[in-house]
Amino acid sequence: MKNKKILIVDDEENIRILFKEELEDEGYAVDLASNGFEAIEKVKNNSYDLVVLDIKIPGIDGIQTLNEIKKINTNQPVILCSAYGEFRQDFSSWASDAYVVKSADTKELKQTIAKILTQNG
Amino acid sequence: MKTIQLLGEIIEISNSNLEINSRMQAILNIISHRMEFEEVLVFKLDKDKRLTCSYANEKSRLYPIVNKYRCHIGEGVIGTVAQKRVPQYFNHNDIPPRFGCIFFNELDDVMYNYRSFAFIPVSDDSFLYGVLVVISRSMEGIKDNDKILLAIIAREIGGLLKTNDLLINSKKRISELVTLSELGKILTTNLEPQTILKNTVFTIAKALNAVFASINIDWPIPKMECHRFVYGNLNGSLAEIVEDCEKQAIQQKKTITYEYYNDNNDLQVKKIYSLYSSPILTKNKAIGVLTIGFLKPGKNFYQNEDMLYITTTITNYIANGLENILLSTKLKEVIKELNETQKRVIEQEKFKSLGEMMANIAHEIKNPLVVIGGFTKRLAKKVNLSQTENRYANIIVSEVARLESILNDVLNYVKEPPPILDECNINACIEDILYLFTSDGSWEGIKITKDLDPSLPLILCDVQQMKQVFINMILNSFEAMNGKGEITIQTKNIADDENHPQIMISISDTGGGIDPTIIENIFNPFFTTKEKGTGLGLAISNKIVKNIGGRIEIENIVGKGVTFKIYLPVNKNKNNGEV
Repeated sequence: MKNKKILIVDDEENIRILFKEELEDEGYAVDLASNGFEAIEKVKNNSYDLVVLDIKIPGIDGIQTLNEIKKINTNQPVILCSAYGEFRQDFSSWASDAYVVKSADTKELKQTIAKILTQNG
Repeated sequence: MKTIQLLGEIIEISNSNLEINSRMQAILNIISHRMEFEEVLVFKLDKDKRLTCSYANEKSRLYPIVNKYRCHIGEGVIGTVAQKRVPQYFNHNDIPPRFGCIFFNELDDVMYNYRSFAFIPVSDDSFLYGVLVVISRSMEGIKDNDKILLAIIAREIGGLLKTNDLLINSKKRISELVTLSELGKILTTNLEPQTILKNTVFTIAKALNAVFASINIDWPIPKMECHRFVYGNLNGSLAEIVEDCEKQAIQQKKTITYEYYNDNNDLQVKKIYSLYSSPILTKNKAIGVLTIGFLKPGKNFYQNEDMLYITTTITNYIANGLENILLSTKLKEVIKELNETQKRVIEQEKFKSLGEMMANIAHEIKNPLVVIGGFTKRLAKKVNLSQTENRYANIIVSEVARLESILNDVLNYVKEPPPILDECNINACIEDILYLFTSDGSWEGIKITKDLDPSLPLILCDVQQMKQVFINMILNSFEAMNGKGEITIQTKNIADDENHPQIMISISDTGGGIDPTIIENIFNPFFTTKEKGTGLGLAISNKIVKNIGGRIEIENIVGKGVTFKIYLPVNKNKNNGEV
C-alpha cells in the first residue's frame, strides 16, 4: 500500500492541498494537476498507480481527460471524484474504476483508493 | 303715424341684442306709456304647459299679485285664451272675478280700480307662447284700433319669445355638445384610468356650472386605490346624501334627482342643493355612478328636466368610454402579467431545469464546504487541542457534515424526481413547446418548420422530462444560430421493425454545425462551449432518453447545421391507438 503514487486532478487549490495532505498521511506519494491538459501531460510522463479526477474542470472536461488518459494507458485506474452525485451511476460507461462524491469526510475516498489499489495489486 | 312709430320702436327693441328680460320689459313699458295701459303683463307658457306671469311693465302693480300662481291651460280667462287662441276683451262689468281663477284671490282687493281688460294670445302660426294682458284704469272698453295694434304687438312678442326659446335651446345644445366633445377627448386619451376619471369630473363640473361632480367606480381596476373621483366640495352630510342617491340610482337603474337643504351651522347659511345621480351602465350592469350637484338658484340655465336629460346623456356617453378604458387597462395588465410569466418561464427553461441550477449551486458550495470540513478535521488531528478547542473543532466538522447532507438531500429531491410515466402525445408536447418559444420576441428571426407525423403512436414517458429534452435541443439550436436561421422539427413513426417499433423526433438547425473535434464530448456533463452554459443540458437529456430505452443520434454537417435524432421505443403492449 505504501509508496503508491497518486495523481489528484482538481481545479480548486484548497481541495488539492486537502486531498494531498490527507492521502500523504495515509502514506501515499501524491502529485497534483489543476486541469485536464496538465493531468494528461503528467500521466504521459509519469507512472501513477491511481488518478483521482474531478469531472468539472476547466479546459477539457473530466470525461474527455479520462478518455485521453485511457488512450495513453488503458489500464490506468481512475477514480472520478465530483461534488455532484448525479452521474454516479454512469461511471462505468465512462470507463472509470469508481465514482466518489466529494466530501469533507475523506473516509469514502480513502476506502475506495485502498480497494482499487488492492485490486490492482 | 303714431301707431307706425310705436310698432317701429317695438320692432327695434325686439331686434336689439339686449338680454330677453330687458327687451320684454322695454316693450311692455312702451305699450304702457304710449297706449295708456297701467298694466301690461305677459303670461308665458312653460315647458310643463302652465302659464306664468313672467314679464310686466315697470310700474305694474298686479305683477306681484298674479305671478304667484301658474295657470293651467283652460283655467280662467288666461287659460281659456291660451287654449282657444282667441282674444277676449272685458270691461269692469263683465270681467269674471279673479280673472276666473280662484287662486288670484288678492285680485279681489284691487279689481275695482280697473275699467277695461284685454287678453290676447301670444302666438305665431303654429305655436302658442303665452298670453298678453293689458289693463286700463281709465279707458271704457278697448278701442278697435288698439285691438288691432295689440294683436300685431302680441305677434311680435311671440316672435321674440320664439327666437329666445330657440336661442336657449341652441345654447343648451351647444353647451351639451361642447361638454360631450370635451368628454370624448378625455375618454379617448391614453392616460391612466385615474387621471381620465379626474379629468372627467372636472370637465363635467365646469361645463355644467356644478358645485361638484363625482364618479364612484364599482369595478375592479388594477392598481387603483381610490374609487371615488370628485371635483369640488363634497364632504360631511352632503357626502352621505350623495351616497344615498348613488344607491338609489343603481337600484333603479335610472337617473334620479334629489333636493337637499343643508343648514350649515358654521356659516349660518342655508344652502339648497339639487343632486342628480345617474348610473353608468354597460350591458345593463352599473360599473359606477355619476353624481352632479348644483346650488339653487344656480348659475346654469338648465331646468330640472333638462338636467335629468343631460346627466343621463353624459353617463351614457362616458359609460362606453369608461368601459373601453377599464377593459383596455385590464387587458394591458393581463398582457403585462402574461409577458412576465412567459419571460419567467423562458428564463427558467433557459436554466433547463431547477435541478441543473441546484446542481450548479451545490457544486459551487460543496467545494468550499469540503475544504472547511476537511481542514478542520486535520487541524483537530494535528494540533494538540484542549478539550474545549477540540469540542469547537468537532462542532465545525459536524455542522459541515450536516450542510453536506442537506445539500445532498436537496439535490436528490430536485434533481431526480421519480419519473411519472404516462402515455404521451409527442406531437402535442412539441406544439406546446413551440408555442412557448415562438411567442418570444427574440425568436422573430427564426423560421420554424414542422413536419409532424399524425400517425405517431403514444409514447410511455414522463412528459415533463421529455419536454425538458426537446427544450434543451431547441434552445441549443436557437443559440447556435444567433437569432437568425431555420429550425426544422420532424416526427416520424418508424414501425418497420415489428419487434422494436419506435418513433423518431428530429430537430435540425442551420447554425453551422458542431466542431468535429468536440462532437464526441457534447453529452459529457459540464461540457459546454457557451459562456454561461452549465454543460448539463445534453448530459441530462441523454440520461432521460436512455432511461426510457431510447437513444440520441447526431448528424453534423460542418458549415451547415446539426440534426439531433431522438429515437424512442413504442410500448407495444400498451399502445394501440394512433395520435
